Amino acid sequence: MAFAPVGPEASFFAAVDQHRASLLAALRGGGAERAGGGPRPASSSQVLASIENVVRDIITSLARNEAPAFTIDDRSSWENIKFEDSVGLQMVSHCTTRKIKSDSPKSVKNFALILKILSMIYKLVQSNTYTTKRDIYYTDSQLFGNQTVVDSIITDVSCMLKVPRRSLHILSTSKGLIAGNLRYIEEDGTKVYCSCTTAVAVPSNIQGIWNLITDAKFLLIVEKDATFQRLLDDNFCSRMSPCVIVTGKGVPDLNTRLLVKKLWDVFHVPIFTLVDADPHGIEIMCIYKYGSMSMSFEAHNLTVPAIRWLGLLPSDIKRLNIPKDALIPLTKRDQMKLDSILKRPYVTCQPFWRREMEIMANSKMKAEIQALTFLSSDYLSRVYLPNKLKFGGWI
Amino acid sequence: MEGTAVAVCEILKYLIIHWKCETAGVSKGTLLEGQLVISIEALNSKHQTNTLHCVTTIASAGSIYGGLVLEKFLKEIQSTLPGFSAKLPWTSKEASSSQDISGVTPFQMTFEVHEKPRILMTNSLMIKDFLHKIVMVHPKIRFNFNVRVNGILSTELFGAKNEPTLNLSNGMALVVNYQHYVRAKSGTTEFFCSRIHPVLGPPVVLFIPDDVAGVDLLGELILTPAAALCPCPKVFSNQLNRISSVSIFLYGPSGLPLISPSREQPPTTVLKDTFCFIDWKKYHLCVVPNLDLNLDRDLVLPDVSYRVECSKEDQSQNMDPQGQTLLLFFFVDFHSGFQVKQMELWGVHTLLTTHLSAILMESHSVVQDSIEVAVDQALEQHHQAVKAHQKLQASLSVAVNSIMSIVTGSTSSSFRKSCFQALQAADTQEFGTKLHKSFHEITQYRFLHHGSCEVKQQLLPEKNDAEQSTEDAHENSSLEFLAGTSRQVTNKRLKKGRLRHGVEDTRAFHSARAPSPSEAAPRPAEPTATSLTPSRASPGSGLEDALWLQEVSNLSEWLSPDPGP
Repeated sequence: MAFAPVGPEASFFAAVDQHRASLLAALRGGGAERAGGGPRPASSSQVLASIENVVRDIITSLARNEAPAFTIDDRSSWENIKFEDSVGLQMVSHCTTRKIKSDSPKSVKNFALILKILSMIYKLVQSNTYTTKRDIYYTDSQLFGNQTVVDSIITDVSCMLKVPRRSLHILSTSKGLIAGNLRYIEEDGTKVYCSCTTAVAVPSNIQGIWNLITDAKFLLIVEKDATFQRLLDDNFCSRMSPCVIVTGKGVPDLNTRLLVKKLWDVFHVPIFTLVDADPHGIEIMCIYKYGSMSMSFEAHNLTVPAIRWLGLLPSDIKRLNIPKDALIPLTKRDQMKLDSILKRPYVTCQPFWRREMEIMANSKMKAEIQALTFLSSDYLSRVYLPNKLKFGGWI
Repeated sequence: MEGTAVAVCEILKYLIIHWKCETAGVSKGTLLEGQLVISIEALNSKHQTNTLHCVTTIASAGSIYGGLVLEKFLKEIQSTLPGFSAKLPWTSKEASSSQDISGVTPFQMTFEVHEKPRILMTNSLMIKDFLHKIVMVHPKIRFNFNVRVNGILSTELFGAKNEPTLNLSNGMALVVNYQHYVRAKSGTTEFFCSRIHPVLGPPVVLFIPDDVAGVDLLGELILTPAAALCPCPKVFSNQLNRISSVSIFLYGPSGLPLISPSREQPPTTVLKDTFCFIDWKKYHLCVVPNLDLNLDRDLVLPDVSYRVECSKEDQSQNMDPQGQTLLLFFFVDFHSGFQVKQMELWGVHTLLTTHLSAILMESHSVVQDSIEVAVDQALEQHHQAVKAHQKLQASLSVAVNSIMSIVTGSTSSSFRKSCFQALQAADTQEFGTKLHKSFHEITQYRFLHHGSCEVKQQLLPEKNDAEQSTEDAHENSSLEFLAGTSRQVTNKRLKKGRLRHGVEDTRAFHSARAPSPSEAAPRPAEPTATSLTPSRASPGSGLEDALWLQEVSNLSEWLSPDPGP
């Protein structure tokens, strides 16, 4: 594969290659790919039949003079979440549910909105057309009220029908960016060549991309767009070639997570994260690695437990003598979030992560990646990251 | 000679004021409790054609008139009613010596008038309305009102002892059972709260205009307005409830109605123009006076009544034509640092009866503000209920349309067939109609679990209406009995608390005999299960108000931001 940039010599990536080998060995040792537990892609006829079943149940309830209600798995309760090292956070098989009743003043509007969105999905699937969550909101913004309501209902419908959102013909608007040594073909035949100097938007149809080609040694997930752009400006992808960098611009959207997952499933390339040394950054990293509570029902399609934390580690702050001026005190909210993360089930199997978080908690300070510019303007791309990659500085 | 109604009402006013003054010295704030019997015996006059000789007796059933100097009472009554002539069966001395073991001093007086049958009937209705108004604020006073016309007896009981009330100041309590104020819808099934929920405005001091001569009060007049919607706005119905009428009730000191039953002074002269005190435009109500008040004798008739004209917006929406009534109560009381004497209170009452408008106008600003506070709060409940209803209707509309979209757009004939069969619909149109109806019925039967708002199914099958009209016919026949006709039928009706709901009606049995005392005795004062709640003593009323406030706050469920699915 002819990628223009020529990166460091092969020995530079010895640690990374060794890491990859151990990951592959772990995969082989754990048997075949983890058994799929999440929603499977459903055919159009299956989706239509599922929706018809829902409607039929409603009408049957009415015929019996009973108030119809939706029964939906409660995605907001930790009691319904279990942690598996190989998967991350996922819903338990017999989880508690909540009812959305048609005869309760609190929930009748939600009941109606769920039906509204079901009817829209029905039409989309029938006509084999696609739309985004944003477009759905704008079909009747007054009715829906706000985007969050639409997003939540769509996720509930996906959970209720046990099909991935893609099968509902509702796309999430991608906000992520990708750059580096990667090319693929989209469903409609468009060929995409990612470059090391400019970013490409994460495609909206991850399920449909095919013919992915890369010889990347690693994939670096960058928390913030500012840091991502900085790396591009510093020619990081070229100098560390072959590699791929991706950003979700903060909390990642579904497509960005699906892409990361796809790259792991196809190439088993080591994946590292570069996040701020603060609770928010750690949480974002955990979303990529272990998933989120709200999407736990689709964990198998979204999580990459093999992800490693490359930086910025709280221990790096002291190790690199980052000046105190560059640090920021933890706020009360930070403290609460940090406490919450420390209590999560996956932290117990990550002692090094726990240690780093305890360092942060004890120092009561946080630092952004940009703190490294106090050492030198290009410290991140020229010193920090290359050293971390070369010497295995990930946890 | 004064009419029977005027005489009876003035006498009762005198007695109640006396009673109030007597008890105020003993236990201020306690509700008056006792029983009075008013009987009218009418026979064809031997000397005048088409005229009835009416003998009216007013008697107390127990000791409520201790301290009443009978001769003085008679003299003062006669000074109020020129030409009035009454008899007392005994003097005060004789009365005190005839006390029974419990020390009860019975009271009885009798007077005679000659009246045309039509006038007697009208007077009887006026007396009934007066008695009904009294028991609305004195729920523990009970009146037996008997009218016998040429041997045909009609008996009615007025009392509200076991009904839910709202405590007012100064020994009064407003009965809050809605059935006294509006007639429930017939032929429909709906859930509703059986009470009204009055909101009191802040009490305000009224000043007497300088040009109201001859007044020298050793105290203050205090107006306390109250507003309530009737029936309770928490109606879960297919139709929006608009406000269709406004009823105003005027009460003076001692809880006596301010409007004279003689109607010599039309209510509009007592309270000339409510537009001065209530900004109807603020509430988007276009009110016009309603002079047609004698429609339903079961209800307590308002002193001033308005009809709210239906707006175009109301017509375009699915508004219930019957709607709700905004009830306004104006309680004017007299407060003094000294013990109030009977004649002073009587004078205050007379003053208010003749100069209420002027007195209210003198304190126009504070009166208006106080009324506005009460009305704002009362209508706020209505607005919340309307909003909640609109929200529900909008949601159900979305749900129905969504289901229709899926069913009609489906290419699966088995799916469509199963849906149609489930609702027993022959085609898409019928399916849509039945779907809509099913959703509305389901939400209509939602049971409201909390709060003091009672929710019970009110079934008013048409047979009740048939009985109702039969009862009316009986009443009419007994009162419209024409001279020269003798009847063998004794018409006896027993009513309790002036409520027709669930009250048994003892039909006249064909006998010429007079009813025996046991037959004429009122039934035990037990509320019917379907329409009354147990009476609440004063401490309980506070709990009711707290529960009602909680219920109103629950209405906010409909209006608060959705927590999200």
